[in-house]
Amino acid sequence: MRIGIFICHCGHNIKSTVDIEGLKGHFREMVNIACVEDYPFMCSEPGQALIKSSIERLGLDRVIIAACTKTLHQDMFKNLVRDAGLNPFLLRRVSIREHCSWTGEDKDKNTKKAMRLIRAGIYSSAHYEPLEEKQVEVNKSALILGGGISGMSAAAFLARAGMDVYLVEKEDELGGHVRRVGDVWPIRERGRDIIEGMVKELKTLDNVHIFTSSRLVSFGGSFGNYEAVIKTKDGEISITAGGVIVAIGFTAFDPSVKPELQYGVDKRVVTTLEFEENMDDLPLKEGSRVAILHCIGSRDDTIGRPYCSRICCINAIKTGEKIKNHIKDSYVESFYMDVRSHPRGGEEFYEDTQEKGVLFTRANISEVIPEERGVILRGEDTLLGMAFEREFDLVILSVGMSPSKDNHEIASLLKITLDKDRFFLEAHPKLRPYDTALKGIFIAGTCSGPKDMEESINHGRASAVKLYGLLNLGYAFIEPFVAYVDPKRCSGCRMCEQACVAKAIKFDDNLHIVKVEEAACMGCGLCNATCPSSAIALRGYKDTMIDDEISALTEAV
Amino acid sequence: MAESIKNKNIEIVGFACSYCSFKASEMAGSLRMKYPEGVKLIEVPCSSRVDPAFIIKALIEGADGVFVAGCHPGDCHFIKGNYYTRRKIAALKEMFNAFSIDGRLRLFWVSASEARRFVDKVTDMYNNIKEKKK
Ligand SMILES: Cc1cc2nc3c(=O)[nH]c(=O)nc-3n(C[C@H](O)[C@H](O)[C@H](O)COP(=O)(O)OP(=O)(O)OC[C@H]3O[C@@H](n4cnc5c(N)ncnc54)[C@H](O)[C@@H]3O)c2cc1C
Ligand code: SF4
Ligand code: SF4
Repeated sequence: MRIGIFICHCGHNIKSTVDIEGLKGHFREMVNIACVEDYPFMCSEPGQALIKSSIERLGLDRVIIAACTKTLHQDMFKNLVRDAGLNPFLLRRVSIREHCSWTGEDKDKNTKKAMRLIRAGIYSSAHYEPLEEKQVEVNKSALILGGGISGMSAAAFLARAGMDVYLVEKEDELGGHVRRVGDVWPIRERGRDIIEGMVKELKTLDNVHIFTSSRLVSFGGSFGNYEAVIKTKDGEISITAGGVIVAIGFTAFDPSVKPELQYGVDKRVVTTLEFEENMDDLPLKEGSRVAILHCIGSRDDTIGRPYCSRICCINAIKTGEKIKNHIKDSYVESFYMDVRSHPRGGEEFYEDTQEKGVLFTRANISEVIPEERGVILRGEDTLLGMAFEREFDLVILSVGMSPSKDNHEIASLLKITLDKDRFFLEAHPKLRPYDTALKGIFIAGTCSGPKDMEESINHGRASAVKLYGLLNLGYAFIEPFVAYVDPKRCSGCRMCEQACVAKAIKFDDNLHIVKVEEAACMGCGLCNATCPSSAIALRGYKDTMIDDEISALTEAV
Repeated sequence: MAESIKNKNIEIVGFACSYCSFKASEMAGSLRMKYPEGVKLIEVPCSSRVDPAFIIKALIEGADGVFVAGCHPGDCHFIKGNYYTRRKIAALKEMFNAFSIDGRLRLFWVSASEARRFVDKVTDMYNNIKEKKK
């Protein structure tokens, strides 16, 4: 065996808490090691060239890359190994960054841990075998869940790029929340007009199939050929789509969760969303006194909403400005924790609005007390440290974004994950903010956390571009990690057949043993752990591989 | 071989499901969360891949503790692999109980987003075993 070990410094990320020279010395002593190399960044071009030339020059038959975790750069490293003439399944990634240099501070202990982890990689890869990925054709089409601005933006991009798009919206019309926003900041247009423009464009594209009043009811398949059943007004339809974009948006926070605000009890307490929908319906007249409350349903641990919703400060400012502009002699006071007017132009807008006469008071509001003459706000001015009570004619709650009600249902249908706040979780918060853990399933817009329109549109388009890039290749590789049976060992007890959830194991009545239908096998390995005769094994995770990893982790270094 | 580590450090071998707990451990690393270096992971596609023999082997070879970490009930990527895991671990624990070593085996449910929970679970297990070993 000719094993090559490539240790990455990752700049200082690994090098500063792992002794690279120590590792190199240790592994040079081991048998079967053809080379031990290190480099500041293995993923850089020179790093890649080092790996490739070593494979070619030394005729390596195993490549161990000790660097970041295998979720990152895996395709790139696999292609590199393939280009160098080695089967990519003889590559082993060892995570000495996410699982070692970043989780421990003691250099000596980290170095010992890295030694064991790399040994585990070496021992287990000794049992690796060259595997072939099956190439399958992909269906150049996308299923988009949610017809808000993010889903529509993704749909428009993909359709113009020539893909079939199935856009599924649960309400009876497209548009989501933007349709309800009367005055879109900063462009000051009606949300409905923006949406109507987009709908019109989508309707001119005959490869866009819009399903309103519809929802996803079942989901399966794999990248390139996902199978979905959509329940529409006219019954159920089945579609095959190459990829999926989840864009089911948010739910506006329901302030009745906080009874002290009297929302839903007193008509003089309303939300910014109701204000946007119809300002004229509200009891506003010359000289009205209006209070606006920031951070309703945001930055509030007591109700499980610790995050900032990013849009509600601007909404509060916009609301104050609008009342000041339209209602003569009005008195508008905005009560905030901090003013986070972060989008471009937000800070200037905040200053202009103050100049127009909207008063901003830093306060904690403890209670809203409805009285006949007016609504009393009771709270504490947190700059002056003084308690106050003030009377208003109208209280407007600047509501934040809560996760969509359907997040859990969609997450479990698609088998993707939600984060701690119940928004959809991205594969990596910085490097892969559009991807989920599943190939070809992307997230877009506010379903992955609060965003304004600009951010939602960008997110939708970016996910569309990424999906397009994947599907446009026209083919996909299916991981060859499926189960297989050793006919000489199988006793025909059929225990694996009973266990297999995917029903991928079939009993052969003539031979009295089982066989695996590879296309149906999900690759879980349950059968492998069930078989009493060690006759069925999961490729890539065979007993010998795991056994030897255990040995590597428990032996002394 | 195993003797030399046996008495010095606490060594824990964890089997982590690639869809959830392993992802959580990656996130814990990215967020620079710290946990004892004695905790080392073996990635498995699903917690149901874990053969009880692996657990016994790890203990015999000198590990002070073994854990299996999978997706929360109902969230298994392979539909219900984790229910099989739960059954297997319960049976194994019963057996370990007879030898008073049941504290050396744990099963946790940790989703991909629960980096903090992952770190808390492994640290707690580590501290617990360390306490007993004193
Ligand atoms: C009061 C208020 C004022 C705002 N003002 C501004 C502003 O001035 N400027 C600005 O930039 N942003 C503003 N925003 C933010 C803006 O509304 C969001 O950025 C935008 O709506 C996000 O779009 P989205 O597509 O992600 O989500 P959504 O608009 O929520 O759209 C999601 C869509 O998915 C559908 N859906 C949900 N569940 C399912 C399901 N299971 N199956 C199928 N479809 C489903 C929904 O019906 C909806 O149509 C405001 C928000 C609020 C609350
Ligand atoms: S469990 Fe093992 S021995 Fe029994 S039928 Fe399946 S492969 Fe054959
Ligand atoms: S690996 Fe899982 S899906 Fe495949 S045959 Fe075995 S039990 Fe069935």
